[in-house]
Amino acid sequence: MKLDSPEIKRIIKERSLYMCLECGKCSASCPRLLTGKEYSPRLLAHKLIAEPGDLLYIQNSVWECLTCGLCEERCPSGVEFSRAILDLRAHLAETMGLMGFRAHDGAVHSWMRIMTAPDLEQNRLDWLTPELKVTDQGPVAFFTGCVPYFDVFFSNIEVDTISLTRDSIRLLNFLDIEPAVLANERCCGHDLLWSGDVENFEKLCRLNYQEFKDNGVKEVITNCPECYQMLNVMMPRVIDGFDLEVTLLIDLLEREINKGGVSFKPLERTVTYQDPCRLGRGAGRYEQPRNLLKKIPGLKLNEMVNSRHSALCCGNSSFINCDAYSKRIQVERLGQARDTGAETLVTACPKCLIHTSCAMRDPVKGESLAMEVRGLVSILAGQIEWGQGETPRRTGGSRE
Amino acid sequence: MARAKVNILGIACNWSPYCCYNAAGQAGLELPPNFRLMRVMCIGRINQALILRAFESGADGLIVLECEDADCRYGPGPEVGHSNVARVRRLLHYLGIGQERLVEKTFLADQKQELVDTLWDFTAEIEAMGPNPANPQRERKAS
Repeated sequence: MKLDSPEIKRIIKERSLYMCLECGKCSASCPRLLTGKEYSPRLLAHKLIAEPGDLLYIQNSVWECLTCGLCEERCPSGVEFSRAILDLRAHLAETMGLMGFRAHDGAVHSWMRIMTAPDLEQNRLDWLTPELKVTDQGPVAFFTGCVPYFDVFFSNIEVDTISLTRDSIRLLNFLDIEPAVLANERCCGHDLLWSGDVENFEKLCRLNYQEFKDNGVKEVITNCPECYQMLNVMMPRVIDGFDLEVTLLIDLLEREINKGGVSFKPLERTVTYQDPCRLGRGAGRYEQPRNLLKKIPGLKLNEMVNSRHSALCCGNSSFINCDAYSKRIQVERLGQARDTGAETLVTACPKCLIHTSCAMRDPVKGESLAMEVRGLVSILAGQIEWGQGETPRRTGGSRE
Repeated sequence: MARAKVNILGIACNWSPYCCYNAAGQAGLELPPNFRLMRVMCIGRINQALILRAFESGADGLIVLECEDADCRYGPGPEVGHSNVARVRRLLHYLGIGQERLVEKTFLADQKQELVDTLWDFTAEIEAMGPNPANPQRERKAS
């Protein structure tokens, strides 16, 4: 059997794989290959085009990719590698039932598929504390994502991702925005889509869109870069007449803070910043998080060797292909973070928080990797205040 | 009262609980007709994914049958079970499936009557709750 169906040919053409010059920059920068995995984006492109009969190699490789986008960043020919991987996964899952190796035995994907049941009445809001001002419906919604579930599932590594959501809402409340937090929002479907399960991803999109519409939502704010990619880029492809505004919380913060009047309490701390793949290379937000951090007096930001466009992935994406090589990537990344002399590693993605926290619990290497990891929003929420002489601005109704 | 048709799954450790189950069968004790048993060598083998997968695949109730902590043939099996069950119960609560649909019970090797009574009681509770609101969402298999 050969992988030369019209769909594969379409993917090769549309994702510009024919433009490959075989220069090998992709493989030379691939974190997976650099940590020793037998995986090469350049060779995969070659096999797809010239040796479609090498089924085993292609099938294995398609699931190996982290989809971190570093190869695309380096590619001089504009090959859309991550999108090719996404399309290939969808195609192989549909035609051959392949879903790749899923970490945690697929438990994460399992609850995401359970959420496609239309009649589910979730109880996902018990993390809301009384001081958080939210509504149950309204024009501006905050999209929580899977963080309540992550904290339960990963309670053995004592990771606290729900604090990112609480601190996001604190920041919105500070700006006098009381977002709607929907009781029945579903997973955004990122991990299902990137593991090839298009059918259930689309079901989640439709259910979420319906939930937004039923609650009068016009703008969705999210803090998670993966949710942002799904809601902002992928959902409009599934929903006809998609008319929601999707806002990344850090964009909103930067805009509002730049209007003036807001100041930050000093924080004497040296930090370094981990660019999440979906936020940096995925959405081009390299400067916003850094600009926000730099507004805090006393805070010193030291950059890692690989930062911004060349940032290293936290080792794992979509909860597939977590293995010894992922761990090596994490060890490498945390080593870079420690080498900056920073006390705290700041990230903007709950998954980076989970994966770095997990790597630090290594019984042998743990101590050489351990450092405080905090969400960007948590640092901001702890320091933000109205400047002297300023009265809180009413931004709730008329933000532009 | 008409009772809903429900699927009950039991996951039993091969040692004490399965011993009870075997003895119950030999003694001709009647078990709930909609109860199915999955035998594993140790409850420490079961992780959160397998429990969630049961609910995803249409189980309406799941009972985890364990040895007492001190009786484990391997070491920390039942403790692993307690931790996994506690976490999945929380996930089931969040998902709106209901944490009552997942329970764990420990047995000594000679408690066949207790095991049978427990299964009937659990089945009755799940029948009263009705089917699991998560429609069975089966994974796509190779065609």
